[in-house]
Amino acid sequence: MTPRTILCVPLDPVHDAGIKIIRNALARRGHKTVLLSPDLSMDAVVRRAAAEQFDDILVSRTLGYGVAELLGRFVDLLDAAGVRARSRVILGGKAITAELAAELGFDRGFDEHTPMEDVVAFIEGRQRESESSIRTRTKPDITVDYSYTVHDPVVEGYLDEIVDKLLRWSEGKSSAGIERMKLRRELLQLQGKKGTEDVERAYRALCDPVIVAAREAGTLPKGVRKVDLREADAVREGIRTRSAFRPVSIRHQRSKPLVFKFLGSGCPMMDLVHGKVCERWGVDGFLVINPSWEARYEGLLDGLLTHQQDGTITSFENVRWMREMLDPATLLTIRAHRGLNTPETVLLAGSAGAEMTKIDLVYGSLGAGTDPDRLAVDGIAAIRLAAEFGMPFDIPGNDELSGVPAWKTLAGLLINVHLGRKLNARPILKPLFCYGPHIVINGLMDQNFVDYNAAKIHALRSLVDSPIWPGEPIAFMTQTEDRVQSASASAYHAALASSLGVDAITVASTDEAYSRGPICLASRIDSIQAVREGGRFLGTASIAPSPAADKTTEDMTRMIRETLDHVRQAADLPAAIRDGLLGDSEDGAYPGTFGKGTVVGG
Amino acid sequence: MRALDRVIDGLDIETYLVCSSEQEGKDLALRLGEELHLGEVDLMFQEFDGYGMRVRIRKYVHKPGDPYRWLDAFGGGREKGEGA
Repeated sequence: MTPRTILCVPLDPVHDAGIKIIRNALARRGHKTVLLSPDLSMDAVVRRAAAEQFDDILVSRTLGYGVAELLGRFVDLLDAAGVRARSRVILGGKAITAELAAELGFDRGFDEHTPMEDVVAFIEGRQRESESSIRTRTKPDITVDYSYTVHDPVVEGYLDEIVDKLLRWSEGKSSAGIERMKLRRELLQLQGKKGTEDVERAYRALCDPVIVAAREAGTLPKGVRKVDLREADAVREGIRTRSAFRPVSIRHQRSKPLVFKFLGSGCPMMDLVHGKVCERWGVDGFLVINPSWEARYEGLLDGLLTHQQDGTITSFENVRWMREMLDPATLLTIRAHRGLNTPETVLLAGSAGAEMTKIDLVYGSLGAGTDPDRLAVDGIAAIRLAAEFGMPFDIPGNDELSGVPAWKTLAGLLINVHLGRKLNARPILKPLFCYGPHIVINGLMDQNFVDYNAAKIHALRSLVDSPIWPGEPIAFMTQTEDRVQSASASAYHAALASSLGVDAITVASTDEAYSRGPICLASRIDSIQAVREGGRFLGTASIAPSPAADKTTEDMTRMIRETLDHVRQAADLPAAIRDGLLGDSEDGAYPGTFGKGTVVGG
Repeated sequence: MRALDRVIDGLDIETYLVCSSEQEGKDLALRLGEELHLGEVDLMFQEFDGYGMRVRIRKYVHKPGDPYRWLDAFGGGREKGEGA
């Protein structure tokens, strides 16, 4: 690169900070720069520009009343002095647009949001980064740095006992969910070829009537319809022909945590457009949330389907559609552990290219309604599938939202991690950063929202070397329907997560607490912006928990150990769940009933 | 096409209404939607402080699963079924 000679002109009575920043950036790149003072007359600037050979003249000016005329006259003066013919003249500043700059006779115009690299790239004749449309990203792997070693030998012994007992209990057992998964695998392999009808018939025989009616006669459940060709075309075309303009990063100078958002408006088209916009704003991945009714039925629907209520339908086509049109580096997680289709959901997710899934045998039974026996059998099959597809699975501790004490929830997470490890899968711990009922009732966060959340992370880290992804979303139950309050709560909790060095976070939208309507895109951007601003504020600094967090960590670790000790003494994990050892009716947790009595064999 | 048709999902209005009670504030917030020709609106958030009320009002223009009037603009106005 040949160094250029650049005259930097703050054509402004006062402001010259912006051009000084640019001057410094250019000087660091080896260019020769001359910076004028901000109070010179236009004639004086033109005389200086004419006195020396400059390759570029950078002019900064905030647009205001009469300024356009002034800038136009400045270009005329440069022209008359013969400067215009030999130097490029570039304009930048607040409210300046490329169009206005061109109209006034400048070679280029930059607004105040233009990234510094773009200005430098223009000076050096390189392609601007933001013109290359998509930020170059690589697909991250949250689990890659972890060994899943259990640090505490006593806890390791408890976990071994619990998991070995569970695996022995599950031997020879099956369910309609597992059998459908096997049939679905055949259907995916057959792809409509000879034999499909027989397999489809066998599949329907294991489905509830609502699903049979849809698969056999095309009678879809209320509020569900097929996405028509025109709609699909328009979305695909819009995504093909548009690109992220000046994509931004949320994390400032840190590489962690990755930032995830939920998708699950009900409509894959709406999800996808929201997703593409969120990618531009720096979101790393999405968790697809299915409708609650889907969990209650045996069997899944097929096709590109939209739904007028919360939750996007888990069909192969919906997942594949989203996966294909999101950025290849964006991570997609499909929730599997709710209801009666857990193994099949993991199969569909893996086959459609999703990177991760969500399975928690304890929460799925205690807070999400599925019978403990059924979810244990299905969950083990699902984790085996996740391992087969190389898909990490996250384990959300959302039973804490029912009122289960954190240590019982964390003990449940550790059981899932250990099970995952034994089945060669890659689990991810997902403790909540929340203001849950047990915390509120017992005043555990009266002092601050930092110590208790930090203690959860410290306790888990003292027990196992596993990735940690607080959710779900962070700041759950601290947020109200007020936009600024909600965004701030997300930002502070994200800053705490950054400080604790966790691997990922799930961020709410500023309408998350509003339960009477779907999430809006502007509300998603609000919270992302807040988290980004928090990241910028914190940078490489940290939020420090108070000394009280150490005692809380110690207590939490002890109570996790005690909980695991109780669970290991139960006949098996489903029995421990039914007996309330990981959360009981007093806590507000009740074993689920979907699929009760449907486990066969063993 | 109206600008309102380009609202991807919902439109939030946030303001402060001068009122004497929470109930009056709520009534005013809902009336505001009608006066702005938005029809029925949702009152997402309100906090009466003795002088008036901070409100967040939402109009869902396109709910998930609706036919989206912005779809042609998003997809470049292509004709039905072209280039599936």
